[in-house]
This record gives sequence, structure tokens and C-alpha cells, in this order.
Amino acid sequence: MSVKYLRRAYVSFATHVYDVPPRMLAFLMFIALAILPLTQLNLTILERLTYANMIAILAVSWDLLVGRTGQISMGHALFWGVGAYSAALLFQYFGWPAWMTIPITMLVGVGIAVGIGIPCLRVKGPYLALVTMSLPLAVVGFLYYYPSAFHADTGIRLSALWPASFGWTGSFLANYYLSFALMAVSAVIIYKIATSKTGVVFVSLLDDELASKASGINVTKYKLLAFAISGLFGSLAGCVQGYFASSARPTAFDISLSIIPILVTILGGIGTIYGPLVGSYIYYLLYYYVFPPIIRWIAPSYAASVGVAGQQLVGFVIFLVIVIIFATRWPRGIARAIVDKLDDLQEAREIGEKK
Amino acid sequence: MLLEEIIILGTVTSLVYALLALGFTLIYGVSGVINLAHGALVMVGAYIFGALVGFFPSLFPAGFSHVAVVVLAVILTTILTGIIGSIFYRLTLHSILGDQIATLVVSITGCMLFAQLIWLVFGATLTARFPVNLFPGYRTLLGVTVLNDQTLGAVVSIILFVSLSIFIAKSRTGMAMKALSQDIEAAMLMGISVEGMYMLTSAIAGAIASIAGVFIASIAGAASGDMWLSALSISFSVVILGGLGNIKGTIVGAVIFGYSVEAITLLGGGGLVASFPFIVLIIVLLIRPKGLFGKHVEME
Amino acid sequence: MHLLEVEGLTKRFGGLTAVNNVSFNVDEGEILGIIGPNGAGKTTLFNLMTGYMKPDSGKVRLNGEDVTGLSPDKIANKGLARTFQVVRPFRHLPTIANVLVALESPRGRRKIEYIRTPERKAMEMLEDVGLSEMMLEPAENLSFGDLKRLEIARAMALEPDLVLLDEPFGGLSPIETEYMVKSIQRMHLDGYTLAIVEHKLHALMQMVKTVLVMHNGEKIAEGTPEEIAKNDRVVEVYLGKAI
Repeated sequence: MSVKYLRRAYVSFATHVYDVPPRMLAFLMFIALAILPLTQLNLTILERLTYANMIAILAVSWDLLVGRTGQISMGHALFWGVGAYSAALLFQYFGWPAWMTIPITMLVGVGIAVGIGIPCLRVKGPYLALVTMSLPLAVVGFLYYYPSAFHADTGIRLSALWPASFGWTGSFLANYYLSFALMAVSAVIIYKIATSKTGVVFVSLLDDELASKASGINVTKYKLLAFAISGLFGSLAGCVQGYFASSARPTAFDISLSIIPILVTILGGIGTIYGPLVGSYIYYLLYYYVFPPIIRWIAPSYAASVGVAGQQLVGFVIFLVIVIIFATRWPRGIARAIVDKLDDLQEAREIGEKK
Repeated sequence: MLLEEIIILGTVTSLVYALLALGFTLIYGVSGVINLAHGALVMVGAYIFGALVGFFPSLFPAGFSHVAVVVLAVILTTILTGIIGSIFYRLTLHSILGDQIATLVVSITGCMLFAQLIWLVFGATLTARFPVNLFPGYRTLLGVTVLNDQTLGAVVSIILFVSLSIFIAKSRTGMAMKALSQDIEAAMLMGISVEGMYMLTSAIAGAIASIAGVFIASIAGAASGDMWLSALSISFSVVILGGLGNIKGTIVGAVIFGYSVEAITLLGGGGLVASFPFIVLIIVLLIRPKGLFGKHVEME
Repeated sequence: MHLLEVEGLTKRFGGLTAVNNVSFNVDEGEILGIIGPNGAGKTTLFNLMTGYMKPDSGKVRLNGEDVTGLSPDKIANKGLARTFQVVRPFRHLPTIANVLVALESPRGRRKIEYIRTPERKAMEMLEDVGLSEMMLEPAENLSFGDLKRLEIARAMALEPDLVLLDEPFGGLSPIETEYMVKSIQRMHLDGYTLAIVEHKLHALMQMVKTVLVMHNGEKIAEGTPEEIAKNDRVVEVYLGKAI
């Protein structure tokens, strides 16, 4: 009895397309994020949450491309970096303000995405992953090679988003709510795309490209579309974060920005759209507020000797181990594993009852 | 002068790069696994060796000559790294064999894991340098300055390539590995333990990677916290260029790559060298993913 | 003008000629059966016709239009649909969504009359093959027989001019085979033109009007089922040289 109920409750956690995500959970999460600053005006927390919001956008854009369409990108840092640098260069050379640079940057993101998508179309699975992984890394070298153009050592400055009258606390708050709004809008848009007919076609590409073609689908068009959407939101994230950090640096193309979306999405559930969102916040929660205290509790003297930075590093290591365990034991996501287990329990029950 | 420099340094660099890529291509050739953690194992080797020689000379019996200490340290390093590589493979990649994407994700995560662990243990960070030295000093050949470590690295590379080829061709274990690379099911039917062989392959690859790491770090004078990335990218490019899984291809790829890098550096494009492996990778993957000799067929 | 004209289709793989100068026509409303021993080149022929492989020489014409070498999705949109021998469902999608994919294609969208929504049309297609109950089940939960029927529903969603069925009876139990025969016969009655590759001769021969026999990539016979059964060469090819 209870197994059936549990299963029904959990079905909406599994990696289906038409499933309604735990609306309640997502709604609550949004509410929590919205009112948090009002309860706890801690600038450090705000800054971290702001960053987490942008990473969430990056991760969900990744999930659409990889989890839903099956195009493996291990180089999403490219979009993030393109976002940051496009805005920065536009500001540096033309003095454009943020409300102009941001939309243009999104278009640049789409352009780059389609530009790399086209040659990448004929490259399969692991090779695609390797190509995408190499792209941002190749760009970094170029940034350092042309120092006068890109100011790689110092980074390129970006204009302030808010007028000075906002004040220090005010601008942090404004940053946060901007990031929150962007995250919410991006999440909703990507969710709507994923659950639309286009999203259904995306999944057909993931499952069986040849069969999709047999159904009359122009696979190329849809792959490029997925790339474009992913690039649009990825570069939006990088661009706005650049504004929050007031500069565009080569670290915007760092490999960690390619890996983190993957890690948090695996944690949250690949292909689910809400997975990368939830995963992002859980990741930063663990990284800043769960692991360091645990480490301090377990090994206080070691923790003291390495300091907070060291504790966070250890926490990151633990996180990597967790992801490896998740990825090797439950490659289809933990939600799926739970549903399968419940299915087995259900079946066993039914067989037992028949006797 | 420039020509001699390119030729001699190119040769030496190519051989060292070939050594770097050898472990990577070995694993792919035998098991079809693209093990991105390879870069980390290179780094692990460099750091362990550096720690043993630089910080724990007291571990070695007093009165040992420098050469003896180095040899002992290298042996320890290779054994340790081989074990680490083997265990990592067995704990993680073995359960997701066949799922190429999961393998890529897990191995790159593992790579970062090792890198972070080294940072923790050795206090290294991205830019901190950890001195590693084999045999300081240099010789000149035809007016070109070649570090002793470079020469030694080139020689060791040749020795290892030849030994490995002989091992694969003549020994029973080696032939088992070759069999696995051709047809897993047939090999299993012959009683070859896939698990055991893959673990052994990972161990050998890890050991070779650590040796490469020792040389790379010594030539550079130190190991750095981001050497896993350059090690990985160079290994990749070389292997993809020459064809995944093909040992001869790896040599050819390394030669092309090594000479190009030297030529570019000596012609003034030093700054681009960091991007070069990635550019090569992208171009090759887009134009001819199989590389020059590739086809995941046999190891030769 | 024939609905489908295949002229001199040839495909070589290295030294092996998989399909050798095969020509035949299919008229509207016909059911054609294509038989032959394993390795005769039947599936390669299908692949050549539907754009999954490019022929070395020869032409394929659909409704008079040359479709040789076009990509599979273009050919599907022109009205030539196919099913796969080894079923290829979209595993992660619910059954109904499998059909919706086809309805998202240009042809699929055209074929939905404006009064109906894609979902309604997809439900009708599923009803036609008896899969309505499984509508919301993820395709990966379907039985093999169900998946074969889903293949057909997907192909029919395009309202094709010609449907190529690649071993529709493969792996089916006798009851499922009977059901499939009825489905195919109904499709024929609805006016669809069919070409069927099949090994289960008993099931096939009762349905088709014309049979084409292939062996070693060549067409060795064409005729009614009765003619084919009496053809010495065909018997020889299937049973070996006369005892």
C-alpha cells in the first residue's frame, strides 16, 4: 500500500519528460531564495547566493543541451567566458552600458554556439566532449597572447550596474535580486522549452537520432537550436556575473566552470531541468556551510591548521568523491534508481500477494 | 643555429611527449577507455618523486649516492602511482565500462580529485612550484644546450617504448592485452581475466605516467599545481593526432607535435604554446577524428 | 507513373557488392513482399531507399521525383516512411510522445488537419495499433510486441505514400504475428502502399500480391506468391541445390 503511494510520489522525481517536477519543492525553493535576504542581511551569504544563481543558470543551460538533447559539452566555460568578455570588450571599446551589452552578449553567445555547433555536428560522443572541453582552454592562451587587447593579467573592467546612490549594501541586494530574477526567468523558459514539442524532439535526438530522422526530423536544425539556447543562457550567466565581479578575467574560461555544471547536474539529476538548479544550491550549501563545519568537528586541529580555505578544499574533495560515487553507481541519476527500486518492491509485493 | 636547435630540441621534446602520451594510449588501446585522470597521475608521479628526493632524503640509507637515491625514488614512485592508477580504475571506471560519456565525466572528476588532493597534501596551489630535480646540469650538442634531464628523458622514453612493444609482442601477459584490444569476448573465452588485465594495464599506464611526470617536472625545474591540465592536453593531442590506441601512431603524433612546439617556441610564439595542444586537438577532431593512423583496432 | 521506381540500385562495401543493380517498381495500393536468405541485401536495399546509405549507382524515384541519396528525414517528409528491424523507440519518452515526434516534422505538421491537435492525432495512431492503454508509459517499459506496433504507429503518423516495413514479424509470438498481419491488412485496406521485408514466409505470403526475391544482392525473381513458390531458382536458393 505505502509502496504504491511512495512510488507515485517519487514518479515525479524520475527522469521523464512529461513529468511535473515537484512543483511544491521548486516553488518553496524560489520563495526561500526570494525572501532570504530580507531575513538575513549577510553580505557574504548574499554574494555567494548571487554566484550560485548564475551557476544555476549555467548548469540548467548545460542540462538542456546534454541531458535533454544528448550533445555532450564539456566546455560550457566557453559561453560563460564569452559572455563576460563580450560585455567587457563592448564596454571598453564602445563604452556601452549594461542594458545594451547584455542583450548583445546573448546574441554573441548564440552566434558562438551555432558557430561551434556546426562543425561539431559531425563529431560524436566522446570526441565532441573533448573538442568542447578544449575550446575554452584554447581561448585562454589567446587571451594571454594578446595582452594589449585583452589585458589578461588584470582583467577588463566592467561598468557598475547600479548608480552610486545604492550604496554598498544596496548594490549587493540589487545584484542578488537581479541574479534571482534572471535565474527564475531562465529556469522557467528552459523548462517550458524542455516540456514543449521541441523539447520532445530534443529527447528523441538523445534517444535515437536515426529513428528521429526516420520520423522526418531535421536533426541538424534541432541540434543547433539546442546549442543556441544553451549558448544564450550560458553567456547571459557569464556576462552578468562579470558585472557582479566588475571585471572579466581569463578565469572566466577556466575548466572548473566547465566541470561544475556537470557535477551539480549529476548530483541533482541529469535531464530533469530542476536537477541542475537544485544541485547548484546544494553544492554551494555543502561547500560553504556543511562540509567545513563537519571537518572542524571531526578533525579540529587539522581544520585549524589549514584554515577555512583548506576546509573548503577538503569539502570540495568530498564532493568530488560523492559525484564519482553517484556517477558510477547510479549513472541514470539517483531519482531513477529509487523509482526502479520501488518498482521492484512493488512487483515483489504483487507476486507475494498472488500466492 | 636555429635549425640545429629545432632538430635536437624537437627530438628530445618529442620523445618526452611520447612518453607522456604512452600511458594514455595504452589504456585506450587495451580497454577502449579514455581515461582523463591520466593527467593527474602524471602530476602525482612528479609530486611523489619530488617529495621523496627533496624532502625525505633521510628515508634513504645514508651514504647512498644521488643516483641511487634517484633510482630508488623512481622505483617507489612508479610502484605507488601504478597502484593508485589501478585502484582508481577498479573502483570507478570498471563499473561504467562501455558508457563513454560516464567514463569521461568520472575520469575528469577523478583527475580534479587527485589534483585537489595534491594541493591539500603538498600545499600546492595553481601557481606554486614544487621543486623537482633529477640530474641538474646540461650538455651541449652541436651548439645546442640540452638539459641532462631532457637527454635522460629521451633515452628513457625510447627504452620504455621498446620494452613495452617487446612485452606486448612476446610475453604472455602482453599478448593477452593485445587480445583484449582486438576482441574482448574471444579473449574472455580464452580465459583471460578482463578485470585483472585492465587493472594491470592501468597500473602500467600509471607507472609510465609517473615517470613522464618526473621528467616533465625536472625539465621545467618544478612541478606546478596545474601541470595535470597541460599533461592531459598534450597527451590527448598527441594521441588523437596519431590515432587513439595505436602505439606507433602515438610516436608519430608526438614527433609532429614536439617539433611543432619547439619550432613555434623558437620562432617566438612562446605564448601560444599553452593553447597549441588544444588547437591541434580541435582541428584534428573536426577534420579527421581518427587521427593519422587511428582505428580502434590493434595495438601495434 | 509508378509510386516508387527503383532503378539499378547498387552498393559496394569494399570488395563486397551488397546490392547489385536492383530494379523494381511499386504501384499505388500495392503490397510488395521482399524476401531472400540472410545476407541477401534486403536491409541494405531499404537503407539505400530511405537515405541511410548512399548508393554507388542507381536511382530511386518517389512520385516521379528523384529522391536518390537524400537524407533520411527529407525522404520521410516526401512520403516514404520506414520501420526498423531492430526496434528503435525513444526510450525516455512516453509512448504518445514517440508519435508526437513524427508529428513535429514538417510533413507531420501538415498532416494534422486543423481541427485536430497533435495529441489527438497521436492518440488515434496509437488506437489504430492497439497501444492506447500504454499512452503515458515510457517507451522503455513496453514489451517487444508493443514496440513493434509503436514502430508502425510512428511511421503511419506521417501519413506516408509508401511504408517500408523491415521485418515487422521478427521476434513476435504466433498471436502477436496474427495481430500484426491484421494491422498490416487494415493499413492496406485504408489505401496505404506497403513494401515488406520478411523472413516469416507463411505470414508474408498470405498478405502480399507481389513478391521480390533477392539473393547475394541481386533480384533473382519477381512475381505472385504462387509463381515464386514454384520458381526453381528460388527454391534452390532457400533450400540449397536440388537433392
